[in-house]
Amino acid sequence: MTESKIYFKFDGKKYAGNEGDTIAAALLRNNVRLIGRSFKYHRPRGIYTCGIEEPNALVQIINEHNEPNVRATVKKIYEGMIVKSQNRWPSLKTDLGSINNILSPIFSAGFYYKTFMGPKGFWKNVYEPLIRRTAGLGKPPKEFKSKSIHQHHNVDVIIVGGGLSGLLAARKFAGTNYDVLLVEREDAFGGILKNANKIKSINDQPTDEWLEKTERLIRNSNNIKILKNTLVTTYNFSDHLIALEDKNVGKPQDNEKPELVLHKIRTKHTILANGHIERFITFRNNDLPGVMLAASFEKYLNRYSVVPDESPVIFTNNSSTFSLLKSLTDLGHRPKAYVDIRDQKNIEKETLELLEKFSIPFYPKSEVEGCEGQKEVKKVSIRTKKNKISKIKTSMLCVSGGFNPDIHLFTQSKGLLKWDKDHLTFKPDRIFQKTITLGSVSGNFSYEKLLVEVEKKLSEFEGLNELEVKFELNGSEKFQIKELWETKHEKKSIWSKSFIDLQNDVTTKDLRQAVNEGFNRIEHLKRFTTNSMGTDQGKISSINALGIVSKILKKDISEVGTTTYRPPYSPVNFSAIAGRSTYEFYDPERKTPLHSWHVKQNAVFENVGQWKRPWYFKKSEDETMHQAVQREAEQVRKTAGILDGSTLGKIEIKGKDALTFVNLMYTNSFTKMKPKTGRYALMLGEDGMVKDDGIVCKINDQHFIVTTTTGNAASVLAHMEEYSQTEWPNLNVYMNSITEQFATFNLSGPKSRVIMSRVFNDIDFSNDQFPFMSFNNFKYLDTEIRILRASFTGELGYEIYVPPSHALKLWQRFFISSRDFDLVPYGTETMHLLRAEKGYIIVGQDTDGTVTPLDLNLNWMIGKKKKDFIGKRSLTRTDIVRENRKQLVGLVPVDKTLGIEEGQHVIEHKDLSLPIKDPVDMLGHVTSSYFSPNLNHSVAMALIRGGKRKIGSRLFVSTENLNTIAVEVVEPNFIDPKNERMML
Amino acid sequence: MTTLTYKDGIEINQVTRQQITLRGKGDGAFAFAVNKEVSLLPPSDNLRMVDNDRFIFAKQSFDQWVLISKNKKDDQEILRMVSEINKNEAMLASNYSEGQSYFEISGEDKDHYLNKLTHFDFRDKKFPASTMVQTLVARIDCCIYKLEDKYLITCGKSYEDYLRDRLLDAVNL
Repeated sequence: MTESKIYFKFDGKKYAGNEGDTIAAALLRNNVRLIGRSFKYHRPRGIYTCGIEEPNALVQIINEHNEPNVRATVKKIYEGMIVKSQNRWPSLKTDLGSINNILSPIFSAGFYYKTFMGPKGFWKNVYEPLIRRTAGLGKPPKEFKSKSIHQHHNVDVIIVGGGLSGLLAARKFAGTNYDVLLVEREDAFGGILKNANKIKSINDQPTDEWLEKTERLIRNSNNIKILKNTLVTTYNFSDHLIALEDKNVGKPQDNEKPELVLHKIRTKHTILANGHIERFITFRNNDLPGVMLAASFEKYLNRYSVVPDESPVIFTNNSSTFSLLKSLTDLGHRPKAYVDIRDQKNIEKETLELLEKFSIPFYPKSEVEGCEGQKEVKKVSIRTKKNKISKIKTSMLCVSGGFNPDIHLFTQSKGLLKWDKDHLTFKPDRIFQKTITLGSVSGNFSYEKLLVEVEKKLSEFEGLNELEVKFELNGSEKFQIKELWETKHEKKSIWSKSFIDLQNDVTTKDLRQAVNEGFNRIEHLKRFTTNSMGTDQGKISSINALGIVSKILKKDISEVGTTTYRPPYSPVNFSAIAGRSTYEFYDPERKTPLHSWHVKQNAVFENVGQWKRPWYFKKSEDETMHQAVQREAEQVRKTAGILDGSTLGKIEIKGKDALTFVNLMYTNSFTKMKPKTGRYALMLGEDGMVKDDGIVCKINDQHFIVTTTTGNAASVLAHMEEYSQTEWPNLNVYMNSITEQFATFNLSGPKSRVIMSRVFNDIDFSNDQFPFMSFNNFKYLDTEIRILRASFTGELGYEIYVPPSHALKLWQRFFISSRDFDLVPYGTETMHLLRAEKGYIIVGQDTDGTVTPLDLNLNWMIGKKKKDFIGKRSLTRTDIVRENRKQLVGLVPVDKTLGIEEGQHVIEHKDLSLPIKDPVDMLGHVTSSYFSPNLNHSVAMALIRGGKRKIGSRLFVSTENLNTIAVEVVEPNFIDPKNERMML
Repeated sequence: MTTLTYKDGIEINQVTRQQITLRGKGDGAFAFAVNKEVSLLPPSDNLRMVDNDRFIFAKQSFDQWVLISKNKKDDQEILRMVSEINKNEAMLASNYSEGQSYFEISGEDKDHYLNKLTHFDFRDKKFPASTMVQTLVARIDCCIYKLEDKYLITCGKSYEDYLRDRLLDAVNL
């Protein structure tokens, strides 16, 4: 069979790989062993595994926005891919950072916590910048516009893992009434069947044939959905899993298509069939390139047809390496040596037969003491059963320290583990959710028992298929293991190290030091040493660490326990988490019916909640915000201006008890209020603090329409619903939000009556017929509009409520009808300025949740004779009626040329002693401040302690550069205090 | 009706509908007031809907129902209906016709595409025909009405552009 060649670059050099190769497989095919440098000591590192558990072979993909820390053992190559090694300078072979290895005695466990304590100022100026520069492995990726998406699934059963166990489960469910999602992290099903040489045939068919038939059967069933190249990363409560799908496996990114899909899966049952992970053994220099896990070595042989080395040394403490031995010898290769810690009498017969048949040097009851080599393994040092050291020249060492069920997801689901003495590992014990574990993840490494397990554990499901499966194995099923976490070191030098965590450069010496320093709890020890805290989460080593610590502490490993397995199983890209909620879709946007008109008129928009509101309109490119706002504000008071007020909340309230309800919700009294009139109203919280304000319009005693502030529209409705349903369920009253049913125009200015008369020429807007705070509905074209005479500017004003489909034409009609008045559209900033000139508050700007109506001089809005309303009782509390509470006042600068800044402190003294050492008595702060074009000086409002009594006095306001300016304290009403303009 | 996209497995149309939101006890007087106008009795189960050739009538919560016209009607007719129903003092009818936007989604892959925007379970056994739901679609509060072979999705008018863009984005990616 001819494989098509794929060319890619690694550190600038071009290599050829086969289609389907991972970067690691392709590099091994080219005999490249040195892949990167370690995190702390910059030691040379190679390829340790063949999958997601890889701690060492992390690379940067330059042509994918510099994506860092990509596992070379997972990422598939494609034509033109550019790969770069990480954490080295100037080159991978010659890395100056490797001096850290020589300095390693000072980088022991807890180095970060004990150092950098002084001298003063060094942390900010020296240590932190330095640490930030050296931290991490890869360089940050370049910014790019991700198209990652989210995809939700709702299923009855999810099967995690498309290996043998997962496929058997899927066959049981094929064609049934259950909706099943089968998730496989590789691009092909099979798992162990593809990786190892353990099973000869299934149902008398070669395993590939059985796999093909099984996949066809599953695909043809209409109840099983398949996801490949998808890694389940998270198992949440309850029955909610998250999986990450790579859409670009073996191909370059398409910037117009999603590169990742984050699957969010809600299920009834979870079948975990996600297998196991081989673990290593710690020995001297167990990190050198050329040391590889035995099962991974075999996976390269079987899945990728790559022979990493034709004559490696095999080092094991268990039966599983027979499979590797067979795979190698089947291919005509002969291992240099077979080192087994077990006594010969415990080693399987078929292993001994193979060793003898191929005359492979055999070292029973022996162990690898260490490896020699600078940038890769050159020699392996073996301590024989006679306690003698024997050295073997080799460039590769395959290690097997046993297997761990891949319990990460199981423990994320809050399932409990127990120690399995036979397999020397933790395995699932008690489930917390509806979880079923099958195969090796459940601690079952026997194929014969697997069938029984599948039938038994899936018996709770009705109507499943019968399984007729017969395995023929290549060796015996017997699994035997002897405990070995680390071997004794012979040679001690600065260079020699025995690693327990390859990614974080944690050594067994670090573990011992941590325990000596009192970190004898596994969670503390983990954090002190950073063991298993890398992106690989110590998948091949964490149990070894527990084993070593248990020995140091002289405890059973089950007593030491495991650290907490937290999601995600493997790092998840931020782009996948964000999904489409980025850039133009970052946050839902709300637009008013006039939005397109505003855009054409060069509106600059302000975000008010999710609403896009015109902030101001630029008359020309050169016009600044200040100029625009001054122009708009001046024009409103001169002739008229119009504001898009569509965002104001509108709530329709109706019911037999609507009047009682409105009286309870607001401070004002509405009992004597005439129909078709409105009233400015205040809503308080239970604490008596101002919650919202608006206008209450009374249609009749059973029917009201109220307005709210833009930002509080939803919360005010929810507040009303809550009280209606929980406090006063006896009241017959209902509410609907009608905010979006109407566009709202606020017309203001001395010419507004004339303009209204021109636009609605059949309506009489005279004071007699249309007095202040009255409203009415009118027929307009084929619909109905409502007009309310009200003002938030202090000018003669009208609010027009019109259905959105008629809004734009009516809005334009206002401009056509008022050309001679230069009607000006104005934005929210001008609205704020105009209301500040009148001293009208904005809830949330001039209030902050600690302000009562009394503080705002709004006593007149409290219905004194009302029996009750929300917040009434609180208004009589001692603290609320205290005279020196912060109260709203107006401020005017003594020097009229000066401006007052919002948010600045109000103080009694002119001079601030610099530098400020003692606290300065702050009377309050400036809540609103604007330059009034109509008064030609700044006007401001402030909340200051005992403010009412201070009216007429002189205070000072701090400035940005720690100066002060003198201000006169005045009533917060700067223009037309008698409201004559509004009543025109 | 405006067709926003039409391709294999998915079709999205923006349509014009009218809507009245009703609040009340759902008692005999309530049923009488509505039935008089639309010749439909209110569904008694939450999230169920009934329909005739003119209206869909759905129950949204214990005291909230919604009427949606199947075809565009005269605005004055809707206003008249609202006014008539509101003659019952103990209930509230609000005209929502212009406060909402309406999208019809059809095609065999509609669930797949919508599940890019919402977690909601569209499977027939969980969401049979003639039921509705209030849920988040693209992080916006929406109602989804399951008609025989399509969904009617409604959202607040102010979100119209955002939801339309997200629907198209989901289909295009």
